[in-house]
Amino acid sequence: MRIFNRHVSDRLAAYVEGAIDANLVRRHLAQCERCRAEYADVQKGMAALENLPVVEAPASVWNSIESVLDAPKRPTFNPWKFGFALSSAVIVASFAYWIVMRSGAPWDVDGLSGSPVVGTRHISRAGRVAPGEWIETDARSSARIKIGHIGSVVLAPNTRARVVATRPQENRIALAHGEIHAEISAPPRLFFVDTASGTAVDLGCEYSLYAEEDGSGLMRVTRGWVSFQRNGRESLVPAGASCRTRTHAGPGTPYFDDASDILKRALDTFDETSSLDALGAILSASRVRDTLTLWHLLSRVSAADRGRVYDRIAVLTPVPAGVSRDRVLSLDRETLTRWKDELAWTW
Amino acid sequence: MLRIAVATSVLAVLAMAGGFTFEIGSPVAAQAPAAKTAAFAFRARGCSEPSKSQITAGAEGIVRGTRRSTVLNVAAMEKPGVYAVFQTWGDEGRWVIVLKGVCGPETAGAIVPIGPKGFIRESAKFFSRPATAAEVDASLKSLVEGGSK
Repeated sequence: MRIFNRHVSDRLAAYVEGAIDANLVRRHLAQCERCRAEYADVQKGMAALENLPVVEAPASVWNSIESVLDAPKRPTFNPWKFGFALSSAVIVASFAYWIVMRSGAPWDVDGLSGSPVVGTRHISRAGRVAPGEWIETDARSSARIKIGHIGSVVLAPNTRARVVATRPQENRIALAHGEIHAEISAPPRLFFVDTASGTAVDLGCEYSLYAEEDGSGLMRVTRGWVSFQRNGRESLVPAGASCRTRTHAGPGTPYFDDASDILKRALDTFDETSSLDALGAILSASRVRDTLTLWHLLSRVSAADRGRVYDRIAVLTPVPAGVSRDRVLSLDRETLTRWKDELAWTW
Repeated sequence: MLRIAVATSVLAVLAMAGGFTFEIGSPVAAQAPAAKTAAFAFRARGCSEPSKSQITAGAEGIVRGTRRSTVLNVAAMEKPGVYAVFQTWGDEGRWVIVLKGVCGPETAGAIVPIGPKGFIRESAKFFSRPATAAEVDASLKSLVEGGSK
């Protein structure tokens, strides 16, 4: 029986050099003619190597070897460390994305004059304002905020406002005090301005909004239509009309800017005091176009006085079919809306 | 104010009598955000099939003594029979907008003067037929001679 049935070809060079245990190889060679022949060849080759002349290697060879030896050692790949780092990066990126998407991306700000302040930073020509940040102008400064892709808001001097949200479906500013001029080109109900006395809901428009610290102020619409709302009370303000705002009462009754001074003063008094004399003055001074004011008064006067307002509108312009006096006096929503849609053709 | 009340009543009577006519209003009357920047909105009243009516508009003007004309694109709003006209005429000179409508066998026309603050409702004229060239010229002349608000 042969002790070693595996050839030892791969160990012959080491056997010649004495680098391995010779007993096993010697026993195999005693029994294997093939390996004995290969052993003889290896011995001849090793002897020939010893008789070769020694030649100096070119410097370039040694230099290339040295440069490899001097190169920083490539770190070995640790899958656990890599996995931890990757997971951490994903978590951080996801959190950052959530924060941005929850509130929105910053808006661009242009300094129009002076040095407006965004947060704690003075900006001169351009900057950015993020959700949650305040932007403020002094007596000598003004700024324009680019509201995403839907328009812009100009802050007049002595104005302070905070960016609340910059999401695609909700672009919102809170006006603490001062005056802004908004110009929005977008589908309705994407841009909102909160004040202490109510929220202006853009319906596709251009308007100015002035507010005092206590929330009282004035909105003037130059294009389109704005809805000013608070606690279920709504004023629809079309182009060419204005609406006062009051801290405790919310949006006032809208009126056209070309209405008579008598009507404007009486309306101011009525919104403050609900005076019957003031109501009488409004009704007497009203024109066809002032049905904007009268329509809003329908839901703001007492039931006992509502008939007077209805009757005045009916004198100024024909009541459309489907709008009955009883339904109007009962403030039927559908009837009031239908009448408003018709009255709008006279505004 | 009396003229506006009379004009409004005339329009209402025409509409109730079934006559095909135009009514003009500010852009918000169209109740559509698309009309926000329009010069004015108008609707075709008394037309039994508004979707089949044919409405055209043109701007006629006098700019530095020279007569000018331009065809306007009438934008139909979502509500049938409601349209908007957008300013594509120049800011210089004085202009009137001429509306023309066909609804089956009936026709209607209107001349709407444009002033510095927009369309001049009180000076607008309405017809149960297309406006004649003489009527357009007369409106323009009145506008140039100071008939604007």
